Amino acid sequence: MTILDRLEHWSERGAISLEQHAYLADLCRREPFSLFLELNVLLYAGVLAFVAGLGWTFTTWSRQLGDVLVLTVLSAILAACFWYCFSRAPAWSPAETPAPTAVFDYVLYLGSLVWSVELAYLESRFHVLSGQWDFYLLATAAFFFFLAYRFDNRFVLSLALSSLAGWFGLTISRWPAQQDAVYRQCALLYCLAVGLGALLLQRRGLKPHFFGTYLNIVANVLFWAVLSGVFNRRGYGVWFVALVLACGASLAWGLTRRQFAFVAYSAVYGYVGISSILIRGIRDETFILSYFVITAVVMLVVLVEIARRFGRPA
Amino acid sequence: MRIYDASSEEALRARKLLGDWAGEGFLTKEQYQRLVRDTVSELRTTNIFLRLILFVFTLISVGATAALFVVVFLARPSSQTIGIFLLIVAAICYAAAEAAVSQARLYRYGIEEALAVCSVVLLCVGMQFALFSGSPYSPESLHWLVPAAGAVFSFWIWRRFGLWYAFLVALLFTASLPRYWTSSHSAQHAIVALLYAIGLLWVTAVRSRHRFDYLDGEFSLLEALLWLGIYLVINLQLSSLDLRGQWWGGTRAAFEFARPFYWSAWVLIWALPPVILARGVRQKDRFVMAVGAIVAILTFVSNKPYLGWLRQPWDPMLLGILLAGTALFIQRWLAHGPGGIRYGFTAARLSGKGKYWVNAVSPVLGLVTPQAITPSPQTSTPDFRFGEGASGGGGAGGDF
Repeated sequence: MTILDRLEHWSERGAISLEQHAYLADLCRREPFSLFLELNVLLYAGVLAFVAGLGWTFTTWSRQLGDVLVLTVLSAILAACFWYCFSRAPAWSPAETPAPTAVFDYVLYLGSLVWSVELAYLESRFHVLSGQWDFYLLATAAFFFFLAYRFDNRFVLSLALSSLAGWFGLTISRWPAQQDAVYRQCALLYCLAVGLGALLLQRRGLKPHFFGTYLNIVANVLFWAVLSGVFNRRGYGVWFVALVLACGASLAWGLTRRQFAFVAYSAVYGYVGISSILIRGIRDETFILSYFVITAVVMLVVLVEIARRFGRPA
Repeated sequence: MRIYDASSEEALRARKLLGDWAGEGFLTKEQYQRLVRDTVSELRTTNIFLRLILFVFTLISVGATAALFVVVFLARPSSQTIGIFLLIVAAICYAAAEAAVSQARLYRYGIEEALAVCSVVLLCVGMQFALFSGSPYSPESLHWLVPAAGAVFSFWIWRRFGLWYAFLVALLFTASLPRYWTSSHSAQHAIVALLYAIGLLWVTAVRSRHRFDYLDGEFSLLEALLWLGIYLVINLQLSSLDLRGQWWGGTRAAFEFARPFYWSAWVLIWALPPVILARGVRQKDRFVMAVGAIVAILTFVSNKPYLGWLRQPWDPMLLGILLAGTALFIQRWLAHGPGGIRYGFTAARLSGKGKYWVNAVSPVLGLVTPQAITPSPQTSTPDFRFGEGASGGGGAGGDF
């Protein structure tokens, strides 16, 4: 029985109205067919390609074009983007606000990226802050947070969070290679600041739908930081305890809130961290392989039980 | 042939659609609760996150068990012994996957999928070890048997379990076959394109019978993969390993291919995108349309290297304007139709799915954007780089 047959059957039984039947049957037949997602992807890709080309062009031809022209073009794009956003935006509301036009979010995103390009250009050409990029990152993060909250935009919020991470001394590209204590401390401080800030904003009812974005980013940064401590040759005990606590918290959050990404975080990060402690220094192949056989089967049993009790399709 | 009952899969699909509709407010909560009772299926499913980690831990347990057996019970085994052992494990994995579905009724649960994937991998590795490794007498002319077996078995896994990525693996195995048969690069590309075209004809013929049932989405994805495969094989600037290294430099290595073949392929990479897009629009097929758009972009991106022209730094900018302009034009054009609909298409959001995906991926995209838009330097460009920024957040690349 196809879904169209079922709708027919439900309509005949009176479980759905005739209008509902007609509307849902049309949806199933793709009449009309929505291009919402495709057009959003095209706009995103267009903005990204445009800014990449802009940056590449100015990197390559800045001497020939001249600073005045480069800055004029960048400032003009910036002004146009922000004029569009501020003139079209509805009055601010702490609740979730839909974008006033279909392209609004992407114009804001373009403006935010061009802002970053312009700042980078200014500093690299004129050394306004004598190469102290931290200040730019902090100012940029603050500006992006303002834009994200003013215009209710998750793209810009994640840009703000990555700028803030940059200010804390983290950049994603550097992270896997640098596992020293300084980076770890910065990461923990970042998690604390962002986590507390998110909690506070959510409690105050300021764009509470952003909380999920904050939490996912904080959870991943926290797990990476703690794992890097667990991988240390010395003094890993405290990090191991922290990992167990973080996994427990993530699991509890995931199960109670039915956000299974957090269950996955606790399973994967926890397994990697605990395994690295338990088989550290062991050279016996048989022991290591037995360990993986037993623990993987145990994990499967536990996860199946979790899936059976909690994990219906999300 | 399929291990699942059509009625069970159809019931799961109906249940999923009911959830979407209730979430969108098309059904009341009471209606949803009443209707969902009609969609009971004995299949056990789970959500995407648990599915992924169950998949990973099944892979770990199978890999570790097989390796442990070799270490403990097979002292200094020959390649043939390892090969035969892996073939036995492949058979056990396949039987376990069948049992996981027929006994435990698992459906897209991660475990049965990982077992099926393991059976394909172990079959190929086992065949390689058993037939061709360490034996001086292994016939060179039969080496194609491994990818052929991989292709056939992956295809079977798709038919049996309905796992779309098994079909993708079958396509990849198929793509590696012709290099065992001929040394001519042109012939290799032509054979793969021909095989994919045959597959495409078969899929389009079969899917017409499943227009509105649960298999429609699956066949749509297969058709899209085949179109993409054909395009990638034909676009010699993308599919040739020798050319890939020179791609960014903008130099052309047409000598690797026969001249008529090279230029016929160039004509085809311009001809295919409109054909695919037209097919997608006509069928209202999301995956095929997406592939049409992707290959159109790839054609724009690879045209200059194809012609041997130097790529310019402003090329991405022009592409960006084209993409955003096209999206804007389509959006406006559709919005100005009666009721925001033209020819059965609308730019409006009709279900929560689109918004869900935009919300879900936007944080990730926002985080990767600073890396993505940092331009790669072109080796031959005559200019300097300004400054040495230490790091970049929010799009400010350190390259500045």
